Amino acid sequence: MKYYISEISAKGSVAVDDNILVKGTPASCGSRMLESFVPLFNAEAVDRLINAGYEISGKTNIGEFSLDLLGETSYFGECTENGNLVSAAASLVAKGDIDAAVNTDVSGYPRRAAAVSGIDFLKPTYGTVSRYGIVAAVCSAEQIGVSAKNAKKVKELISVIAGHDSKDGTSLPADSYSYELTSASGMKVCIIKELFDKASDDVKKSVSDYADKLRSVGVTVDEVSVPEVFAIHAAWNILLCAEFCNNVSRFDGVKYGYRSENYKNIDELYVNSRTEGFGFITKASVLYGSDVLSKGRYNDCYDKALRIRRVALNKMKELFASYNAVLTPVCSQKNYQPYEICDAFEKAYDENLFTAIPSITGLPAMVTKGVQLIADSFCDATLLSLADSVEETEVM
Amino acid sequence: MTNEKLQDLLDVNELRLTDDETVRMISLFQKMNGCEASLSDINTDNVDIMVHVQPLTNVLREDFRDQKFSRESLLEGAPEHTEDSWQVPILVK
Repeated sequence: MKYYISEISAKGSVAVDDNILVKGTPASCGSRMLESFVPLFNAEAVDRLINAGYEISGKTNIGEFSLDLLGETSYFGECTENGNLVSAAASLVAKGDIDAAVNTDVSGYPRRAAAVSGIDFLKPTYGTVSRYGIVAAVCSAEQIGVSAKNAKKVKELISVIAGHDSKDGTSLPADSYSYELTSASGMKVCIIKELFDKASDDVKKSVSDYADKLRSVGVTVDEVSVPEVFAIHAAWNILLCAEFCNNVSRFDGVKYGYRSENYKNIDELYVNSRTEGFGFITKASVLYGSDVLSKGRYNDCYDKALRIRRVALNKMKELFASYNAVLTPVCSQKNYQPYEICDAFEKAYDENLFTAIPSITGLPAMVTKGVQLIADSFCDATLLSLADSVEETEVM
Repeated sequence: MTNEKLQDLLDVNELRLTDDETVRMISLFQKMNGCEASLSDINTDNVDIMVHVQPLTNVLREDFRDQKFSRESLLEGAPEHTEDSWQVPILVK
């Protein structure tokens, strides 16, 4: 069981996932393909943390390119506690070994991890944190976020790493953002019925309990129906795999990364390096992504998914005209048991139902007390305030 | 998904699967194709595509030569290299 792929400083209080670059320290992305890859520069988020006086503890183990549930497809093995899967970074935060972790939310893994380990995670509005120096997997959706034990700590770190970076073409222009915590009293939140109904009974109870806690701090909680969630889920998985397929085409065993020892010509070098270097979840994602981009499938799948992305955003904007945030489960179940690695793609695909909306729309999402809150773009502070208001009632 | 079509996708993506993996992959594709049925729940006839969640514009910079990393440091990360180049098998005899 490997929590750290590389340890950097025993005094460090912040860990970073192994797909975020730290100069001179291997960045494997949980893949054999990048086992030996040592970056020449820091990610912008890492530079900002170091410049602000934070020390990096190490690089935490993740699943291959962060595509899976909780890191279980890592080439270096999964992390389990009491027979259940946990993610390395979230577990270290939950145990108090570190104060916080910086994770890349490609398709929801850090959100699920926070729920399972009982910590907070903020996936900020897309474009507010520089993606410079993460190993790109799904460029139009992946976003660096922060895991910590409570909303106040998340706020502290997100304030450090957010802001314009000219090195990232998708970075938004503001130099900084306000994450001021305010009272949640008077806010309105809605629960998406279709997602609630798909969760297990104990997850439903967590959502209902959290709704009651919100009501106790003066928040109005309603239920709404969003039947589009199933189409949004399918559309997200199409876009995820299509972009991923293109992004990992650069791994060919020539310029960096894994090279097979078994080849006689350039074609065999490519094929054998990629076949031996990638795990099943990566291969499945690449093949499905390639399929939905192929002639004959493009219009019905990829093009349709791009249109559904707009429908999803419009639908959420409609909700935000009446509500400050949306409350949903983030997982179908409270814990996951280890399983056969060839099932990873299917399991992640199914669980993406709960994480798809923020991923496909770039909206900010916060996981706290095992549930997910989603807000309008640039309303990350609303999420932090809601989470903090509930957490404050437990401190008192 | 058929074995033939899967083989085409494998060729395009420079990948191979074992026989067991091939069986798993075909069954996986059947499930994925089933899930795609929900796409038709939403009428998108009058909806424009949305490639990116933010309104992206081209980012231009001054045109200047900037060698951030040395050739040597870039070559260090390669699985095999000569003194000044990445090394690959002979392409043309």
